[in-house]
Amino acid sequence: MQPRSAIIGAGRTPFGEHYEKEPEALVEESGLRALDSAGIERRDLDACYLADYFLPFTNKIGLEEGFFSELLELHVPMEITRCFSSALFSASNAIQSGRYQLVLVGGIEKMTDRWDKIRDDLMLLEDPWSYYAGCTPEANHELMLRAYIKKYGIQDEDLEKLQTALAYIAVKNHKHAIKNEYAQYQREITVGQVLKARTRARKPLGMYDFAPVSDGAAALILASPEAAKTYTDMPIYILGSASATDYITFSSREDRTSFIASTLATENALKMANIKLSDIQIAELYDQSTMLEMVSLEDLGFCKRGTAWMNIYDSCKDYKGYYLVNGRKLYVNLNGGLKADGNPLGATGGAQVFEIAKQLSGDAGERQVHIEDGLQYGCSLELEGFGTKAYVYIFGRD
Amino acid sequence: MSSEPIERRVSYIGDRLRGTRCGVCGKEYFRKKDYCGNCGRRSFGMMQDLDFFFEKGELEVCTFVNEPTNKFTKFGSFIYGIVSFHNGKVRVPGRLTDSIIKENEEIDLSKFEGRPLVPRFRRRHAVEKSEVIPTISLAFTFADEYYPHQKYSITKPNKEYEKPGIVGYGVYTSRFRYKEPTIERAVPFLDEDAITAAVEAGKMALIQSGIDYSLVNKVYVGSESNPYAVKPIASKVAQVLKLGEEDKTEGIQYVDAIDTEFACKAATSVFKDAASLVYYPENHDAYAIVIGTDNSQAAPRGEPGGELDFFVGFGGCCFIFGMQDVIAELEGWHSCTSDTPDFWRRDLEPYPSHGGRFTGDPAYFKHVAKAASKLMEKLRLQPSDVDYFVSHQPNLNFPTRVAAQLGFKEEQFLPSLQVAKFGNCYSGASPIGLAAVLDQAKPDDRILLTSYGSGAGSDAYSFITTSQLPEKRNRQKFTIQYQGENPHIEYVDYTTYRKLKTGL
Repeated sequence: MQPRSAIIGAGRTPFGEHYEKEPEALVEESGLRALDSAGIERRDLDACYLADYFLPFTNKIGLEEGFFSELLELHVPMEITRCFSSALFSASNAIQSGRYQLVLVGGIEKMTDRWDKIRDDLMLLEDPWSYYAGCTPEANHELMLRAYIKKYGIQDEDLEKLQTALAYIAVKNHKHAIKNEYAQYQREITVGQVLKARTRARKPLGMYDFAPVSDGAAALILASPEAAKTYTDMPIYILGSASATDYITFSSREDRTSFIASTLATENALKMANIKLSDIQIAELYDQSTMLEMVSLEDLGFCKRGTAWMNIYDSCKDYKGYYLVNGRKLYVNLNGGLKADGNPLGATGGAQVFEIAKQLSGDAGERQVHIEDGLQYGCSLELEGFGTKAYVYIFGRD
Repeated sequence: MSSEPIERRVSYIGDRLRGTRCGVCGKEYFRKKDYCGNCGRRSFGMMQDLDFFFEKGELEVCTFVNEPTNKFTKFGSFIYGIVSFHNGKVRVPGRLTDSIIKENEEIDLSKFEGRPLVPRFRRRHAVEKSEVIPTISLAFTFADEYYPHQKYSITKPNKEYEKPGIVGYGVYTSRFRYKEPTIERAVPFLDEDAITAAVEAGKMALIQSGIDYSLVNKVYVGSESNPYAVKPIASKVAQVLKLGEEDKTEGIQYVDAIDTEFACKAATSVFKDAASLVYYPENHDAYAIVIGTDNSQAAPRGEPGGELDFFVGFGGCCFIFGMQDVIAELEGWHSCTSDTPDFWRRDLEPYPSHGGRFTGDPAYFKHVAKAASKLMEKLRLQPSDVDYFVSHQPNLNFPTRVAAQLGFKEEQFLPSLQVAKFGNCYSGASPIGLAAVLDQAKPDDRILLTSYGSGAGSDAYSFITTSQLPEKRNRQKFTIQYQGENPHIEYVDYTTYRKLKTGL
């Protein structure tokens, strides 16, 4: 294990609708919490890597870097990317190269400020060709599910089981979110509700299968492993990081039942971290829909292709807080996932890393996972678009 | 095209469903590619053009969209999916069109998946009135329903005629109908208009005639319901049907395209122009296309001009003129005109007005009778020399009365009367009558066509069918009878009819 960079502080805002808060307030709230938890001042920062997809649309903020500079009263280098994981990618690469010692990684989104147009924005972002043929942000998930059912010949009782397994995912994530004070939906839902929403919509996936649109911000303080020791006794290390890319048009991809980008990123991240997939104990997956959490379990390699639904079904019938995969416990989306924690695009990955960092440092409060041999490794998967980009991180602790 | 925003590239590639195949490994793409990802540099210069416009696809997977994105909200709900061509070598996203999904209708996606689909040329989505209307062929319907899949194969002509004439024709009307006590009328689906009907009619005529589209050097489109006050329908037809020689690098067609307008005779007026053009000695190998198309407008019932709402139809009709492999030679013509304001639409007004009791006489009857009798006189014809009489058909009464007045018997004019099936298709009305006659005429039959356009004028034409008619006619499945008596016709109520007619 060779640490590449270390998380020494993390902060986030609650996710949800924040119509009363300007973007500045969200950025400040998460940034200050991160700085506080790291015990540093903002003037200690060497650079900022920030993420947002839609601020220029939702809040008419053009040159985001200047906006952040004014807000933080800082003149250090700043770069904007789309997803949080991509900002983290640049930040950790920069630290690894020895260029910076202390860096802030932040992400924000205020999607509800554009509630009437955000679905069009999302669709144009993730698959413009399909948009012009009538595609919606939900439709690609449903087509993937239809293709999955067809490819693996799932029918009758099995099909019912698969549909229930997907409902279980939503139910499980809501259950996790109850203990997450930052989550958008801190309440339980039932399998019946999930299924009923599908029936009402007359679609393979219903309202409860999808993550909401949200507002929120998240921030991390990243340090070189050497610098980290001076600020904390419990740095959380980035051991592996990788990303991969796929075609923007879903229909033109070779396989429409998985995301090749997720698989490639996982393989490379594991190689870099020099650990096995089976070493991973907790995972934050990108459950933009229940379908994606299921498919990600296969894409990352936790489950064999075409079988994740069986693992999910068996694990959730009488849910004990984890999936049982190949006889091992795998804790997935402990913060409630995108489904219940919320999905403010630019900040979503921040909440994923926040959760892993809190869990690994034993600081997750009520949500804390206890593992007999000790909690050592976690991973996160964040996607941009509909599997167009995948970022996988492997985190570990001393 | 590469520097265009995707929105416009969708139009260029998507209107025609263009693709590319690697000449080295055979990999196919839905878009223009200069090289193949598999073969890299080896494939430069080896990429072949593909085109899925006349092909049949398969609905691979689909889902139901009940909350469309903003531009698609007017569709309400629809089936959306992935359409594969060439056994899955190419996949494109697609919306199923021509379907009204009822609120309580159960949706079983597996009943749709795996079925054959045909690309349809439609409006892409709703836009503001001031914007360009986006179109696309990423709209599909099931090939086993109303609109069949038909191959288009170019047939080398083998006979040149002395006189120019019709070498092929095609008719397009929609699957939706509204029933009046005495007639039925075709109703466009939400994404249809005069432009889409023109393209579909042209597509049908290409399929039937088997002519080489690159030899068409003139296309006329007559309409009085062009959604644009300024912008031709003909240019869209030329580009989508790839008429004339194509300059691929520049994205232009070497063809002259022009719209004409003269109420319901906008198309028939230029039959003689098209015929004369191909008769020009240097132009004998070429073809000229005339399309009459209308989403016939009428104010809602009870409003001024609402009387027309009982008769208006929707459809397009295309005739290809040439000197080769003619199916009906043009024997002669005669036209007449007077400034009679019996029907008009002022600029910026959505619906036409008409002159009440004057629309029959002196408008319709005088002009139709004069043009027809003058032509018969010129050609020294008696009514008994004519096998079929076709006249403009705004309703059932007018054409019947004028036929009797000219001395024609029922068996001479009834075969052309299609207004009871499709309504008054304005510029397409008498052309559809002519097509209906061609669908059943024998070789060497004489057909007298007399159009009428308010404002006012009539064009009379005499055609004599040739021995090539029956063979060419057999190439067309989508005949008038097929469209008139199709089991997949869907009848709509008055509110739906008005909504569909207004469109996106």
